[in-house]
Amino acid sequence: MRDEFLSEEDLDLQNLTDAELEAYWNLWLEQAQASNDLDADEYSHGVFMTVPCPHPSVTEQ
Amino acid sequence: MNIYLELTEEFNAGRVRCIISSGQAVVLHRLAIMSKDGDWIIREDAEATQHTLTVLARHGARYRFGAPLDPRWLQGGWSGHFEFRRGDLRVRTDFVSRPPRLSEIDLAGLWRQHDNASTSCPFLDVPQLAEIKKTNREKDYVVIGELARRMTDSTHQFLYSRSATDLIALASQHPQLVAELTARRPVLGTIAYGRDALEAALDAERRRLTHANEERLQRYARAAQKWAALWPVVEREVQDRPLPEAHAIVVRRAEGVLPFQA
Repeated sequence: MRDEFLSEEDLDLQNLTDAELEAYWNLWLEQAQASNDLDADEYSHGVFMTVPCPHPSVTEQ
Repeated sequence: MNIYLELTEEFNAGRVRCIISSGQAVVLHRLAIMSKDGDWIIREDAEATQHTLTVLARHGARYRFGAPLDPRWLQGGWSGHFEFRRGDLRVRTDFVSRPPRLSEIDLAGLWRQHDNASTSCPFLDVPQLAEIKKTNREKDYVVIGELARRMTDSTHQFLYSRSATDLIALASQHPQLVAELTARRPVLGTIAYGRDALEAALDAERRRLTHANEERLQRYARAAQKWAALWPVVEREVQDRPLPEAHAIVVRRAEGVLPFQA
């Protein structure tokens, strides 16, 4: 038996034409906007993890 | 056109400056769609950062908390982050010039490879992407596992496979490679002890890699403490300004506060 890392749906991307892949990609991005509020302060890449909260003691410097 | 492809073409007008990395490179390898943000490896020179900022400015991008998009910080491994709206899409664009776990030799080879290619939408190849994906996120190891199955070179398969059954099968075909590569990937030394032992070793390896990346991020977080404390002030100062003006302020504010090296 072969262990699986991704779903068949994911792996089916290989069978799409370039235009179909782009259309599916765009649709996925549109649907993914539903979580924007949840990850507003988060980072997917790079060396920063969260947006810093304003500290009450922070004043104009 | 897809926003990330469109941006990449614009970044690379006339010269390759930005290479698609991470989640969107995974899409271009037709593996999975699992990230809504864009991540690029940017060429570490002033012309490349200036051109990229000009493109982002045309899209109405603003700085998120991060390092200035300036070679002085990029060469220390820092990342620059921007965001803009396109219709209903929140578009995030993230940049590094020194991605983790790729050596200077790897990077020099990466730029040579793409300088000689004709595409305006370059993206990381499979082994480079697998290396980048050794993060502290569980889902990235799933991607590495599948990427390893796309690799055609047995050495790469040995170095990146996340499947005990695949590794055992591979070892039966190339026993000499196991001995040669165990120094580079100690988990391969467990192949001889069977599937259960190998699976336990793969899990332990993933945890080690996860912890190493967490420690790397903590090092940057410590180095950015003063910058993080100042950021709310800087953000207020730049929020209504066009990006070129905001960039100049972010650079001036970061100098002496955010060290070039973490």
